Amino acid sequence: MDSQINRRNFFKGSALLAGSAGLLVGANGTAYASGEPIPIGQAAPLTDFAAADGVEFRNGLLLACEEINALGGVLGRPLEPYFEDTKQMGDATNVQAVQRLIDRYGVHAVINGYNLGSGSAVQDVIADAGIIYMHNDTSRGHGVLVESDPQRYFGSFQTDPSETWYGTGLLKFLKSVEDDRSFSRPNNKMAIILSAGTYASNIANTVRDGAADFGWEISLYETVNVPTSEWGPTLAKIRQDPPAVIVVTHYFPADLAQFMVQFMNNPTPSLVYMQYGPSVKSFRDIAGQAANGVLFSTVIGALQDEMGLEFERRYKERFGANAGHNSGMQSYNGAWIWAIAAALAGGSGEPGNDDQNRKVADRIRSLIFRGVGGATRFVPGIQEAYAYPGGVDDPSLGMPHQFLQIQDYTGEPDLIAPWPYGKAAFKLPPWMNG
Amino acid sequence: MTARRRDLFLCLILAGFAALLPVVSGVRYTVTQTTFFFIWATVVVQWNLVFGIGGIFSLAQMALFAVGAYTAAMLGYYLGTSMFLAMPAGALLAVIFSVAVGLACLRLRGPYVALLTLCVAQVMYLMIVNDTDCFTNPPAGCMPLMGGVRGFSRFGDLGFRELLGPAFYIGHYYVGLAMLTLAMIASVVVIRSPMGLAFQALRDNPAYAAARGIDRFKYQLWIFGLSSFFTGLAGAFYAVNTGVVGPVVFSFSHLLFLLSMIIVGGVGTIWGPLVGALLLMFADEAMRELGDLRDIGMGLILVGCVVLMPRGVVGLLEDLARRRAAQPARNAPLPTKESA
Repeated sequence: MDSQINRRNFFKGSALLAGSAGLLVGANGTAYASGEPIPIGQAAPLTDFAAADGVEFRNGLLLACEEINALGGVLGRPLEPYFEDTKQMGDATNVQAVQRLIDRYGVHAVINGYNLGSGSAVQDVIADAGIIYMHNDTSRGHGVLVESDPQRYFGSFQTDPSETWYGTGLLKFLKSVEDDRSFSRPNNKMAIILSAGTYASNIANTVRDGAADFGWEISLYETVNVPTSEWGPTLAKIRQDPPAVIVVTHYFPADLAQFMVQFMNNPTPSLVYMQYGPSVKSFRDIAGQAANGVLFSTVIGALQDEMGLEFERRYKERFGANAGHNSGMQSYNGAWIWAIAAALAGGSGEPGNDDQNRKVADRIRSLIFRGVGGATRFVPGIQEAYAYPGGVDDPSLGMPHQFLQIQDYTGEPDLIAPWPYGKAAFKLPPWMNG
Repeated sequence: MTARRRDLFLCLILAGFAALLPVVSGVRYTVTQTTFFFIWATVVVQWNLVFGIGGIFSLAQMALFAVGAYTAAMLGYYLGTSMFLAMPAGALLAVIFSVAVGLACLRLRGPYVALLTLCVAQVMYLMIVNDTDCFTNPPAGCMPLMGGVRGFSRFGDLGFRELLGPAFYIGHYYVGLAMLTLAMIASVVVIRSPMGLAFQALRDNPAYAAARGIDRFKYQLWIFGLSSFFTGLAGAFYAVNTGVVGPVVFSFSHLLFLLSMIIVGGVGTIWGPLVGALLLMFADEAMRELGDLRDIGMGLILVGCVVLMPRGVVGLLEDLARRRAAQPARNAPLPTKESA
């Protein structure tokens, strides 16, 4: 790999050194990355409809490898990343891609962003090979699986909280903006639009099941076929019975952008909440002005603090001004956690070397890692990141469930919650401002 | 030696050589990729019976494959059925399904058969991915009856993980090899039998075949039924081998990839589909690093084969062998008065 970063430049430019990088430097000592490379893999949607994210997952891992190698790799062994395309994803495709990484390259770890699927299939391939798996499938299925057999699934870690936090987090967020009087509901109706699939339906079901406790009634619960750019029938139902809040749990940026473009032709006085998709730049590019006012949240993304902004600068310097650092940070974060743990454990293990990788997994379990997206600490037993707030009340111990609003589509979205990370106040969307 | 015996003998020789691969190579990647070759080769060898020998342009093969895969996975997931039972059950259900499709196609010809069989596969796909109602509610979240978009995983295996530990994939390799060998033997037996001749007669001259008393109704159902058993079994084994099954098995690109194997190898030849599967899987693997160019490369190979070798690689080799056999006779000296 042609490293673009050397040790001195990295020390000079990085605000990370006090935290995560410092741990790695401590373990590496004065070692330079010159030994036998450690192959690590990533299975990502590099082509097809989720390629915008997949390319950033690859970039995130590349940047992490370059930075880690600049600090001596893992105990003097440089990291060498390999990639497999998961195209349209799905369990069968994801499993085969990861299997190829293991069989073909003998990777010691698989460090992914997200892949669509059950979120609990790849772990079996990882367990068979006895290696480490860091991913952001954001799936409750991961925790359920690991809990069912912690010995077998020792090496699988979900570096963000599960999708169910989206549902409970949204209801609490709506209550908070009502409490501080920045939003008052015109009625108690809530429309939920989801796509087929575990991820979107788990979020939608959590919102639906908890809505009554917050005084909401579900006026529309509609599953749409995706990918789609034709939202007419769904919007017609919304316009016929306008709700106070529209919750879209589907998450493809291009689809969501089309929703907003078509919604703005004749908007209803409803807050529009989406998740994940609007954090990707292509959403704002496609939706343009129609993106202004959209609320969204993500349980994994770069914060707008000193570390997050410094990461954004480095990322865009490396991959161009239009690069999506919020997606790239997923694999970037996972790579750093794994590399530090591997260095602390005395090195990583190839497929079949369960003993060494169990030591790496032990270190991962005991880490509290402050990365560019907040703190990653794993819930014992289920090996997914703690959520803040909700899972823990201390922001230094959990991954923040970030609520953002696009207030000016030409710039980055504004982080409005949770405390202490919020940088801007919630604003009523332009279509509700008279 | 008859042609039938020669082909069967060749099958066994090739299977014997293939059985040595895990011992000789020992590279896990080679072994696991060859297992996939066994699966896809089984499918195309059987598809060739319908498409190449029977001349019926059916695109239902991946649907049959899916029936086998889903049946095995669902039996294992919901009922805890052993995969040793679930796999043949998947194959048998694929036969029943295929005969039903064959009945529906009886009055159709050419592209209309293709359209109908493709529709069947697409309807199955849409029914699966659009089903969001929870049939069960496991802790991991809602599970539709057919698995929905997520599909099925952890429905059981053949026990090689317990038996062989990390080398379980070698067990799968030999199961795949046995399956392909049996599928090839079945294919040779059918093609080199009176039934195979009847299929070819119906393909080449339906009116003449009918005049000779060949019952199209009977033989069309036979060919649909015969070709689907190993296709369903391949689907069930695919599910066991990968440990998951999802709607991706219906993908159109996959269907075209398999169809390309038959075309490149040689439609209607005994060994063509096998050779096509081998060549295209090699080519696909060699172009894996090329990203989007990989699809273009595969397209160019297909176009090149269609233009330069309309009868496929095996068809071309057969033509060359025939020409060579005819050449000595043509070059032989004319009889002289003395020799006369």
